[in-house]
Amino acid sequence: MKALLRKEFSLCLHPTAVLFLLFSALVLVPNYPYEVIFFFSGLSVFFIALTARENGDLAFTCSLPIEKKEVPLARISAAAMLQCALLLLTALCIAIKQTAFPEELLVNLAGNSANLAFCGFGAMLLGAFNLTFFPLHFSRPTTVGVPFLVSSAVQFVLIGILVAVRHAPFYAPIASPDPAHSGVKLAVLFVGLALYGAMTAIAMRLSMKRFERVDL
Amino acid sequence: MKEMNSYALEAQALKKDYPHFMLGPLSFSIEAGTIAGLIGRNGAGKSTTLKSIMRLISSEGTVKVFGKDFSEDEGAVKELIGYVGGGFRFYPNRSLSAIAKAVAGFYPHWDGEGFKRICEAYELVLSKKVRELSEGMKIKFSLALALSHGAKLLLLDEPTSGLDPLSREDFCDTLLALKEQGVTVLFSTHITSDLMRVADRILYLSEGALLADEPLETLMKRYRIAMFSSAEEAASAQAVGVKRVKDGFEGLIAGREGREATLDEIMIHLEWGKGEAK
Repeated sequence: MKALLRKEFSLCLHPTAVLFLLFSALVLVPNYPYEVIFFFSGLSVFFIALTARENGDLAFTCSLPIEKKEVPLARISAAAMLQCALLLLTALCIAIKQTAFPEELLVNLAGNSANLAFCGFGAMLLGAFNLTFFPLHFSRPTTVGVPFLVSSAVQFVLIGILVAVRHAPFYAPIASPDPAHSGVKLAVLFVGLALYGAMTAIAMRLSMKRFERVDL
Repeated sequence: MKEMNSYALEAQALKKDYPHFMLGPLSFSIEAGTIAGLIGRNGAGKSTTLKSIMRLISSEGTVKVFGKDFSEDEGAVKELIGYVGGGFRFYPNRSLSAIAKAVAGFYPHWDGEGFKRICEAYELVLSKKVRELSEGMKIKFSLALALSHGAKLLLLDEPTSGLDPLSREDFCDTLLALKEQGVTVLFSTHITSDLMRVADRILYLSEGALLADEPLETLMKRYRIAMFSSAEEAASAQAVGVKRVKDGFEGLIAGREGREATLDEIMIHLEWGKGEAK
């Protein structure tokens, strides 16, 4: 698996995968729909899958001394590493914003506020992407566009719900600047991370099972 | 003392169903240290057979490599194999050194110095990108990768397609040198002249079925080409795949009459014979 992951990063990584990590800094922009940061993460995975397809990567990798089912496992693990890096960078930028920005700029009028809870929402959006994109892609690896369209649609529906629910009265503590209502926000963060872990694990299992049946 | 497995490759009831094509069930074995040629016309199932062996496609049947069952220890079995699927068409914008570095990590017995030596012998420039290589050089690069991890069995899918005659000769020289080192080779081709020079055994595929699986010498001795003045005469001589030629009719016969048949002619007449039978 170590060699597979190294190969993922040395031969399959698309430049946007690193570039889009910098989009975590978008949380510093006042009144911006910060959820799109996680859409761009999905876009970079789409580029990785597209480049891998054009490079004949899957057939090449399957000829190496590994089990066929390890191929999706490595691809999803590499994506998960990038996603975790994105979440960490986003959390770091949020911490900077919470300490350096005046309080009136900490409440986001265009979507969810950048706080602890937002990282939980981000994790959930990334998990939803993994759960939809990878099993679809690895059931027919020549198809990259359709899985991306489906996963993006799911992400945007979820983003829509998150933005809409922001105006609900019960939501006020979640939208507040840190460290207020930390308990609720931490709960949202942990639920988001748990959902991310669960959805990614299911995506791995489904992708491995489906990829074994694929003819390369 | 433990006896070494005399077969490099054993395939049992290898079968793959497509909506419009069925491969097998095929059963065959390749002796260790020999070169076997997988021949057949386009679409006969040569690539499907090799992909089934490598489990690149989901197929039925069992495959053993040097006695090790593929399905029981896929990773370990693949370590013994060097698979070249029709030239090197992967990562066109990557340098050879970058690809070799990534590949080396998968093999505990990777011989870095050996890889450099082979690349020098093949005149491969490691800083070059894959897209800058000619078809012949791409095949040489694939072979360099396979040989540097100590592959004992080479599975080559149409390695000589797209090569000029001189490069094909070079390739055949390489195979013969590998055979001397004890490497077993199974390679598919429709260029039968290459096989005449290097192959010990022929596996002849037609429409997904094995039409012949025997030593090249036996196959060549079995058939002769005979000339006939009419189609009726050819039919009474039980000639196979009778076709019109400028001086009458030509067909494949068993026995000692007629002239020696080339592998190409055997293949063509057997294919025609199958068509006639239908």
